[in-house]
Amino acid sequence: MSEPTIRSPIASGSNPWHRFFRGVLDRLTIGMSMGGVIMMFGILLLIFAVLLNGAWMAIGHIGWKFFTTSTWNPVPGMDKYGVLAFAYGTAVTTLIALLLAVPLSIGCAVFITRIAPQWLAGPVSFLVELLAAIPSVVYGLWGAFVMSPWLQTHFEMWMWKALRNIKWIPVGHYPGHRTEYFPANLVHGGPSGSDFLAGGLILTIMILPIITAITRDVLQQFPEELEQGAYGLGATWWQTTRLALTYCRVGIFGAAVLGMARAIGETMAVVMVIGNTDRISSSLFAGGQTMAGVFVNEFLEADHPIYLSAMMYVALTLLVSALLTNLAARVLLNRIAPA
Amino acid sequence: MPSDATTTPRNFQHHEWGPRLISGLAKILCTAAAAVALLLLFVILGYMVWKGIGGLHWSFFTNLPLEEPMGMRNCIVGTIILAAIASLIGVPIGMLCGIYLAEYSPKGWSTAVIRLTLDVLAGTPTILFGVVVYQIVVVRPQNFNGWVGHISLWAHRVQSWLGITNGYSGWAGGLALALIMVPIIARATEEMLRLVPLAHREASAGLGASKAETLWRVVLPTAKAGIITGIMLAIARVAGETAPLFFTAFGNDTMVYNPNRQMPSLTEQIYNYSQSDDPHWRAQAWTASLVLVSMVLVFSAAVRIATRKRRIRTH
Repeated sequence: MSEPTIRSPIASGSNPWHRFFRGVLDRLTIGMSMGGVIMMFGILLLIFAVLLNGAWMAIGHIGWKFFTTSTWNPVPGMDKYGVLAFAYGTAVTTLIALLLAVPLSIGCAVFITRIAPQWLAGPVSFLVELLAAIPSVVYGLWGAFVMSPWLQTHFEMWMWKALRNIKWIPVGHYPGHRTEYFPANLVHGGPSGSDFLAGGLILTIMILPIITAITRDVLQQFPEELEQGAYGLGATWWQTTRLALTYCRVGIFGAAVLGMARAIGETMAVVMVIGNTDRISSSLFAGGQTMAGVFVNEFLEADHPIYLSAMMYVALTLLVSALLTNLAARVLLNRIAPA
Repeated sequence: MPSDATTTPRNFQHHEWGPRLISGLAKILCTAAAAVALLLLFVILGYMVWKGIGGLHWSFFTNLPLEEPMGMRNCIVGTIILAAIASLIGVPIGMLCGIYLAEYSPKGWSTAVIRLTLDVLAGTPTILFGVVVYQIVVVRPQNFNGWVGHISLWAHRVQSWLGITNGYSGWAGGLALALIMVPIIARATEEMLRLVPLAHREASAGLGASKAETLWRVVLPTAKAGIITGIMLAIARVAGETAPLFFTAFGNDTMVYNPNRQMPSLTEQIYNYSQSDDPHWRAQAWTASLVLVSMVLVFSAAVRIATRKRRIRTH
């Protein structure tokens, strides 16, 4: 930081004009900054007001059934709307992303803070954070043209061959009365490349840097005395690391929840790889749709009032779920790092 | 067996082979996790460079999408115009919020409420900003009833007074991006202002300066570099946004400078091209990605290197 040059204001203190202008400046500054805060509150209110106002008709017509039905039929006259299929898509992709990204991120953070030598830790940390700077549409492009074809011909093919005949637990029936078994149902339908799995994988890469960054920050707060104490008692490196992870569990949990919030709100990358069909399937190889993604596909086609209103209802659902997750993460993270 | 020689002298380790084996395995797994993350970065960037570098001629920067050879001059200019409009609206609001939060807000519930609001804004899925701006700027205000209708009508009056038309426009796109910027800039400003030592403020006050004079002459100049960093990171962030632009700027195949018209952008053009089967268009999408990522990465990498000591929270 550069040294500030302080022009002495003492001399102006005696001049009544300067005193007047100083008063004006004081009031103007506080007034303007309060104006900024009021505008920020206004933005938030506006978001809620516009979404609620837009969704009002759908809330009146559909009500709670919106959350328990998965039919999405916007043909004028038919007009059946349920968010469940989209919510399911968001939930499944987010879950896959968390299951993969959390262990991977913890591994990265442990490597950066506890394994890598000083000269390596900085660059690795920087490069992982660089993943967060790549725009989501580029992830989508890469996902659609590189990852999806590879998934279809290699990874999913392999997974399909491995799992399709393993029938441990009957979990339901397919249409046509064939029994659905776990885990064979996960690969039902065969490799497609554009499916829940692809959506989950692309989200994994996208939330990896944020979870890694926060986990790294909280691991660095692990007290030196505890570390030395653990080693002194004869703990191995892993036992000490486990102690550190346990010590930082709230922060790591908060990081995971923040990653989850990101995954829920992510739009473009998922839209480009998830296949965009609105149905619910227990198969990871089935195409789906997320709450955010449905806007890219359908918002500008919503041509009659109830359709548009149902879209706004989806928006409201998305907003509330993202906000609750986000607030939960902030509560957890503020608990470990006050201000 | 690898062991941390600096903290545990090798002589004092009397572990059984079991825990030592597990410890070694865990180390290998953690290293593998970091290797996977880096591998993903290099695969994504490498593939993009490999696919995109072929289309990187001068014509890409000088021609329009419908010309032969194809170019994206209008999209690059559009992205810059959108980011400029977003900064014009978002930076003052964000900075004022940050200033109030760091300097004027009484400790306690008001700070907590403002912070909470900023967190809520930062956590809103960006596509919803597009939806909201679509509803109040792009479509006619008649779509609303009740008090939101009144707000919308007033927004419409202000809008027409400013010479901003309804419909898809650069203004709408810039406004959506501005809303995304506000919480990022507010938090960056607040953190940078809090880093200014109390001694500077006390010295200024001791010389007889008022609170506002101290702010304008001492605190803000000291925190200037950090705040500019935060603003640049926010710009890099919104330059990569796609989703909110679908319903606001919409895109355009011609050269547009007038923000009242539909505005093209790199991100949206990448999406449009990616949806086509034409290999030339797909190649253009890769080249556009390369240009966009280079812009964003160079921008944020430079900023991060320049301000390594000052930590700015970007998440």
